[in-house]
Amino acid sequence: MIGNVPSDFRLPTSDSVIGRLADDVVLSIEDLWVEYQTPAGPMQAVRGATLEIRRGEAVALIGESGSGKTTLGLALLRLLTRTARVSRGRARFRIGDGRTLELFSLGGSDLRRFRWQECAMVFQAALNSLNPVLKVRDHFIETARAHGRKDDRQTSERARELLRMVQLDGERVLSSYPHELSGGMRQRVSIALSLLLEPQLIILDEPTTALDILTQRAIIDVIRSLRQRLNFTMMFISHDLSLAAELADRVATMYAGELVEVGKVRDVFYTPKHPYTVGLLNAVPPIAGEEFTPLTAIPGSPPDLLAMPSGCSFHPRCPYATELCVRQAPPLFAVGNGHQAACFHWERVTRRLDVWEGAVR
Amino acid sequence: MTITEPLLSLDHVSREFSTRRGRITAVDDVSLAIGRGDILCLVGESGSGKTTVARMAAGLLEPTRGTVRFEGRDLHQTSKGEHKAYRRAVQLVHQDPYASLNPVRTIGDTLRAPVLHHKPVRGRREGTRRAAELLTLVDLTPPQNFLSKYPHQLSGGQRQRVAVARALALNPRLIIADEAVSMVDVSIRVSILNTMLKLRNELGVAFLFITHDLAVVKYFGWEGHVGVMYVGKLVEFGRTPQIIGRPLHPYAKALAAAIPEADPDLTRTKDKLQLRSLDIPNLTALPSGCVFHPRCPYVVPGLCDEVAPRLEDVGEGREVACHVVARERQALTPLSPSPGSTGEGGTEAA
Repeated sequence: MIGNVPSDFRLPTSDSVIGRLADDVVLSIEDLWVEYQTPAGPMQAVRGATLEIRRGEAVALIGESGSGKTTLGLALLRLLTRTARVSRGRARFRIGDGRTLELFSLGGSDLRRFRWQECAMVFQAALNSLNPVLKVRDHFIETARAHGRKDDRQTSERARELLRMVQLDGERVLSSYPHELSGGMRQRVSIALSLLLEPQLIILDEPTTALDILTQRAIIDVIRSLRQRLNFTMMFISHDLSLAAELADRVATMYAGELVEVGKVRDVFYTPKHPYTVGLLNAVPPIAGEEFTPLTAIPGSPPDLLAMPSGCSFHPRCPYATELCVRQAPPLFAVGNGHQAACFHWERVTRRLDVWEGAVR
Repeated sequence: MTITEPLLSLDHVSREFSTRRGRITAVDDVSLAIGRGDILCLVGESGSGKTTVARMAAGLLEPTRGTVRFEGRDLHQTSKGEHKAYRRAVQLVHQDPYASLNPVRTIGDTLRAPVLHHKPVRGRREGTRRAAELLTLVDLTPPQNFLSKYPHQLSGGQRQRVAVARALALNPRLIIADEAVSMVDVSIRVSILNTMLKLRNELGVAFLFITHDLAVVKYFGWEGHVGVMYVGKLVEFGRTPQIIGRPLHPYAKALAAAIPEADPDLTRTKDKLQLRSLDIPNLTALPSGCVFHPRCPYVVPGLCDEVAPRLEDVGEGREVACHVVARERQALTPLSPSPGSTGEGGTEAA
């Protein structure tokens, strides 16, 4: 099962190499639960998430604040705070040479290699993820050195190339400190830095949030062209549905720690089958079109993760909810080709607004 | 904009600031007016001066030049009594409800304070009754559930509703909302916007609504006007449906084109306007001529980089500050006299 191991990579502990995934699967998350210790007791921030990401695709994880999207990303890179832990489930990752890593039992140097060489994460606040006392050049050099690439000149050369790809003036930016750059420039530096070691998977957490509109557009265009050139796999986390519409091949909606709908981007946007996805879509104001577009809000607010409602966690806010939804949690139903939704009433779910007008509060 | 006297007007208002790197003009010669029950949206990116305009309109900042008038009276020349009346009539809602609500006061205390201070009602019990009324107005029901809570016990959206409720405490005639919904989630954003629209429709409250998001302007300001600001200047002004449907100023066009849509087919095929540069100019070293010319794809060398365009009326109550737009209009309007024309030739073209 384990093929030839390249000499530059120490073999993971035996129990972290379990089987192969399907050839095109890069990441497989199965029944993932993440628990935070809080003064009021354990709180489940991610509840049984299952998701596969295939080579070369872009998957958007959408949902509102507190839905568990960022926690899921952090858990994959084993970057959770000390008060959080993966309480159940597994995540497998197929590394470059075809072997499979069990992410939650990786240790020491394997973990270090996995992070950044196999999977890199770009964080929301790019100012906080860059070290304020290091010039941009040193960020690239230190990252490369930490992963055994000691040729600084080669690193600088690669850095300039990547910075050019994100539409930055490499020479000028490399000798700048983070505070000398605008928010949009810092975000592009972070993206370039994440690509330095050619990871297979990039996780972007809210890549355009808190940036000006024209800067957001530049970041979106940069990400799109980078994917075309470098062909990496991408998972991005966003509360912005429009960003998912722009960049994703597949979309997964998260609500109160659960993945409630997963499908191809056109299926999820044009024929959403989970009422929460519908609620989100009906709340986004469009700019195109010469007519006024009425919108509706999802009534109520997301549940307290320490006191979850019975049955379906969305039932107190859902216009389709019935007795069944109060009693029983819905499984993920196959609602179309590669399209799943966790709703008993998915066959009745439409984007019509009038359903929501008199919704429960 | 309105035939009657506007509620609040800014008349050729400029504001300068001294910074370590020199003097900057955050707002440069902006004129705006808001009538009773009107919605006026100001849209622009960071550094556009929209928040400085909001602060001047709210009386928190005095203009370096120009005047702010409330019901026709210069805000900074009013008597103490008039100023107090203005303070009641114009209320500000900030972006960040975490920062603007006092964390050690209950929601009830927060809402009672302005009522008891300005004395439209007397006594704690009356104050509480008014506080409950305000909570109901902003859809925090039943109010009893919220009066004794502290800000940290509420969600971000609920806190922003409390901030709106506090702004309503003194029956204001104008609410200045500065990025009031940019920090809340999508579905909550719509419900807060709907609540504010209800206040406008039912109570006749006018809104000066500051945002960076044209899509939000389209929804909230559909029945009002929008001003597009760029590094301190108003570059386009008009009725919201006109500006959203057919922006004329290249910067407004770029903004509208840049916004992604929650529709995969539409957003991926939408015409984008490629700017020549991504950088917003430094306020301490503004470009010559039109401040947008270094980024503008339509730039006319020798004109745009030399002469600053003035905001000009282009009909239908719409104003644009752009040489290129002005030229196109001249080309399309044969009756307007052009240099060297005898004044007769225009009729054939019509």
